[in-house]
Amino acid sequence: MLLELKGITKKYGDFTANDHIDFSLNKQEIHAIVGENGAGKTTLMRMLYGMEKPTSGEIVIAGKSKTIDNPNDAIALGIGMVHQHFMLFPPFTIAENVVFHHEPRKSWRYDRKKAAEEVSQLAKKFGMNIDPLQIVGDAPVGIQQRVEILKVLYQGADVIILDEPTAVLTPLEVKDLLASLRELVKMGKSIILITHKLNEVMAVSDRVTVLRDGKVTGTLETRETNPEELSRLMVGRELKNNPLPEKVKGKEVLSIKNVSMTDKDSGKSLLENISFQVQQGEIVGIAGVSGNGQSELIQAITGLASVQNGSVTLNGTELTNQSVKQIREAGLAHIPEDRYLWGAAKEASLVDNMMMTDYVKQEFQKSGVLKLKNIRKYVTDSIKKFNVKTTSIDTSAQFLSGGNLQKLIAAREIQKNTPFLLAAEPTRGVDIGAMEFIHEQLIEKRNNGDAVLLISSELSEILALSDRVLVMYEGKIAGEFERNEASEEKLSILMAGGRNE
Amino acid sequence: MNKLKTNATLFIQPILAVIVGLLVGTIAIMLSGESVAVTYQEMWKGAFGNLYFLTNTLERAIPIILAGLGVAFAFRAGFFNLGAEGQLVMGAVTTAIITVSLPFQGLLNMIISIVAGMLIAGLYSFFAGWMEQRFQINLLISTLLLNYIAVLFAGYLVSEPFRDTSSAGGVPQTVMVDQASRLPKLITGMNLHYGFVIAIILAIVIAFIMKRTTFGYEVKMLGQNVFFAQYGGINRKKTMFISLLISGMLAGLAGSVEVLGMHYRFIEGALSNPQFAWTGLMAALLANSNPVGTTIVAIFLAALDTGSLGVERNTDVPNSISGIIQAVLILFISAKFSFEFLKQRKKEGK
Amino acid sequence: MESLFDLSLINSTLRMMAPLLLAGLGGAICSRVGVFNVGLDGLMLMGAFLGIAANAYTNNVWLAILIAIIGTTIFSALYGYMMIDLQANMIVTGIAMNFLSIGMTTFALRTIFDVQGAYYNNEMQGLPVWEIPVIDSIPLVGNLLSGQSPIVYLGIVCTILMYIFFKKSVAGSHFDAVGINPTAAKSQGIKVRRIQYLAVLISGILCALAGAQLSLGQVTMFSENMTAGRGFIALVATMLGQSNPIGVFLSSGLFGFTEAISIRLQGLNVPTNFTLMLPYVITILAMFIFKDKNQLSALKNSAGSSR
Repeated sequence: MLLELKGITKKYGDFTANDHIDFSLNKQEIHAIVGENGAGKTTLMRMLYGMEKPTSGEIVIAGKSKTIDNPNDAIALGIGMVHQHFMLFPPFTIAENVVFHHEPRKSWRYDRKKAAEEVSQLAKKFGMNIDPLQIVGDAPVGIQQRVEILKVLYQGADVIILDEPTAVLTPLEVKDLLASLRELVKMGKSIILITHKLNEVMAVSDRVTVLRDGKVTGTLETRETNPEELSRLMVGRELKNNPLPEKVKGKEVLSIKNVSMTDKDSGKSLLENISFQVQQGEIVGIAGVSGNGQSELIQAITGLASVQNGSVTLNGTELTNQSVKQIREAGLAHIPEDRYLWGAAKEASLVDNMMMTDYVKQEFQKSGVLKLKNIRKYVTDSIKKFNVKTTSIDTSAQFLSGGNLQKLIAAREIQKNTPFLLAAEPTRGVDIGAMEFIHEQLIEKRNNGDAVLLISSELSEILALSDRVLVMYEGKIAGEFERNEASEEKLSILMAGGRNE
Repeated sequence: MNKLKTNATLFIQPILAVIVGLLVGTIAIMLSGESVAVTYQEMWKGAFGNLYFLTNTLERAIPIILAGLGVAFAFRAGFFNLGAEGQLVMGAVTTAIITVSLPFQGLLNMIISIVAGMLIAGLYSFFAGWMEQRFQINLLISTLLLNYIAVLFAGYLVSEPFRDTSSAGGVPQTVMVDQASRLPKLITGMNLHYGFVIAIILAIVIAFIMKRTTFGYEVKMLGQNVFFAQYGGINRKKTMFISLLISGMLAGLAGSVEVLGMHYRFIEGALSNPQFAWTGLMAALLANSNPVGTTIVAIFLAALDTGSLGVERNTDVPNSISGIIQAVLILFISAKFSFEFLKQRKKEGK
Repeated sequence: MESLFDLSLINSTLRMMAPLLLAGLGGAICSRVGVFNVGLDGLMLMGAFLGIAANAYTNNVWLAILIAIIGTTIFSALYGYMMIDLQANMIVTGIAMNFLSIGMTTFALRTIFDVQGAYYNNEMQGLPVWEIPVIDSIPLVGNLLSGQSPIVYLGIVCTILMYIFFKKSVAGSHFDAVGINPTAAKSQGIKVRRIQYLAVLISGILCALAGAQLSLGQVTMFSENMTAGRGFIALVATMLGQSNPIGVFLSSGLFGFTEAISIRLQGLNVPTNFTLMLPYVITILAMFIFKDKNQLSALKNSAGSSR
């Protein structure tokens, strides 16, 4: 046994993030940890890496009990971590990032030449193809992840923790990564893989530990289990299946014609000749790895950025490059892709957050003076209807959990009863309960005869909800499928830049 | 979160800050070798001792309240307008020049000269906003630099073209304002003038705008999260310009009423040396840009000022003690963000 | 106009720019580690006062500068504590520190020296003027560069040292890393707090020297609020110089030059107020031309946290 966690508990105030967790890792093993968002996977690994301290429990490494106070201790014990959000310095070169804090030096001077040589050799040894002098900020995400792994290897880690490493990768890059992990194990490393994607677990791991609500619900040999069992252990119950009733064809609501957008500073093309329509009573899904133009498309439709070419029409009104206000008045509602950046003001009250764009309505204001009584009643009712858990409507939004805030945003946008709803990443990072609820609301809106455009990087979400699926790749529409033709395999190929056969 | 608890934490912080501020003041008094009890007694007397001192304190609070409201308004919209001093001086010098240049006197003269002062001050602030919007020139720095330019420019105006040449030598100043065009006193024989009424009314009006109007909502949301505001269709440019215009106009009004109600002329340095604008900024910071809070804190800070003038008259402790206490107050209040920050981090930790 | 532009103008430019350069370097090292130092002005004022006060007591200008450095560094530690440990808003704290500095120095001026406005003492020795032996003997250049206070030369040395520090040293790369992504630096075992404190303390030392140049180098006196916003101009120099030591040198050179010119203009028939305005106007104009994107985003971050 290389490493063992015994009865690890972590409490934040009254909240127990980890409850008596037992976990072990053998040499040259890939041990996956799976669980829903908030199950306590990341917290557990942060303790192993010295970024948090356990409230109680013991960490045993090579048979000896150890305390790990900070990442330096972890590194000294041969534990390295690749974080979900990359811990890189974009203006630095790849070599500088890899050797960071372990730089080769001549007395006080930084020996950058030696750093580049060492990194180049290390990459070769583990079969990775990188240019040590490339600026990390210019490198693609897949390469940036290699840099993270190289960094851990350079520090001499024998145990590598990877936290949701595939969230930002294209299916092709995922395949490469999983192969690399196997390679690393062959060369003597041991890996802890944190993920919530069960196919990856099945493909690469030796053992798997399932967490739910901070507790271990099972540790299994991968070859003796199956995705269904793991999923049951993760969620604790069978998932609801929302069937889509037959689509009633309606008239066209949103129409995008030949829309192009280029970056003003670099002249790089962001959107190229995008055309599609969304009709009444259908959900059109746009699949794609994030960063392939979805954000720009959202901004083009909602008026947050201007396009150079093409036209956007909503309900027959030409709205290309109009203001957000005009577009919203023409019938747009919009669940934004990042709820904290675009979707809410963290410090403002739930009332203020709920009233955005509605505050100008006749029922809520008269010649510029707000009708607070009506507003408070409306907000109270909506919160009840959409099941947002809060103690008061005057609480500031930052105290809501991610799922509850997302429900608030959904309540705000869906209740506008607009003919068109743009839902971008509507369930990113929310718990299963909130996800099911929001999905039901989207389907209900569709069934009421409104048009919904769903943009999501989560394939399962796209496949579950969409009547039609478009795939975006590098700012272009790479393909289109009817609901019955779409499959995970077909979409994956297009998302990675492959051809539609 | 429980509302009672929120309110309690809301009050504990400022009260603690005042205690710490006075403690630091105590140390300073001890260092200067005076009796602490006597000094604070003198401070109280200087601020509220009798009707004269009380009205004096309230008079001193007028420009601080108005400048503070101006700064608070811009803060609410998310803009760090550090240019209140320049705007105040521009407003004051404009009013002083217009009122003596108009061919008629009386109420109309008063209104025209005040409005002109506010307008120039508002445009001065607007200009900084325009530079930020159009050329990404940082507002914090530009408003700051514009202060020096405004003070020097006003100084030029009163020392050259508009100088009162009847009184030879001395500090450069404009010609006296006609009796009929002055803001009347609230109580005869006391310094307090109608500017105080204007300031209080405006504080209430602004509180109403912020809390109860759609425009106030837009300003607030823009200040809380620019992206959220844009996402909701709030016109960032328009809201920013209007807020900065209003912010500058309020600071300008602070200067105008001082000229028409107190000094009856523009005297070089009379408005910038007492740091009215900066004290107003502190009031806004301490009250977290709440209009009514800003007014109350402004009166408190004015009392510290007049109180320490009293201290200086009657003891060996210099009046800069009020500056020290005020700065410590802000330092302590600004640490408030940290407590909130910690709470938030714990929440996110799960 | 021959009296306006001549070679000795370079000499007075060097003298005028020295405080801006030193404080600007202080601002630069802070901004490189992600701290937006709005308190430069207050730190400078503290240094200027302590320099004069210590000089009056010790009668030794070197000891005075040492005391100014120690005192100002302690003051900057308080500033750092507010920003780094208490996470107080950087702009608000900076402004408050400036007020505190004005209040404390004015208060001390009254209680210690019992004067109002300015303290001046004929017997007090200011900083000596150094004639650098080798440079002095070179014709022309000798006149241009020699004959400055030691702090002016120190400013140039500091520029070069800081340039090498960031360009060549391992520690410099760690400083940069903290400024670029503190979370990442921390996760790799860098002591972010320590580095940020170090930067703030170093800015304290540099501002103390800048202040000492004002009160002991250019003149030998202290007057209330004698920095007159130079700390803010230094901050602009930091921004224009993109927090790069060479850039800060050039931009503070621009302001030093403007200041030197404006002093000369006073001899001509231009109203004094306009000549005094010149550095501020030039600063605004300079901001139209140069923009420091890093600094701007650091500023946006710090402003954002206040909302």
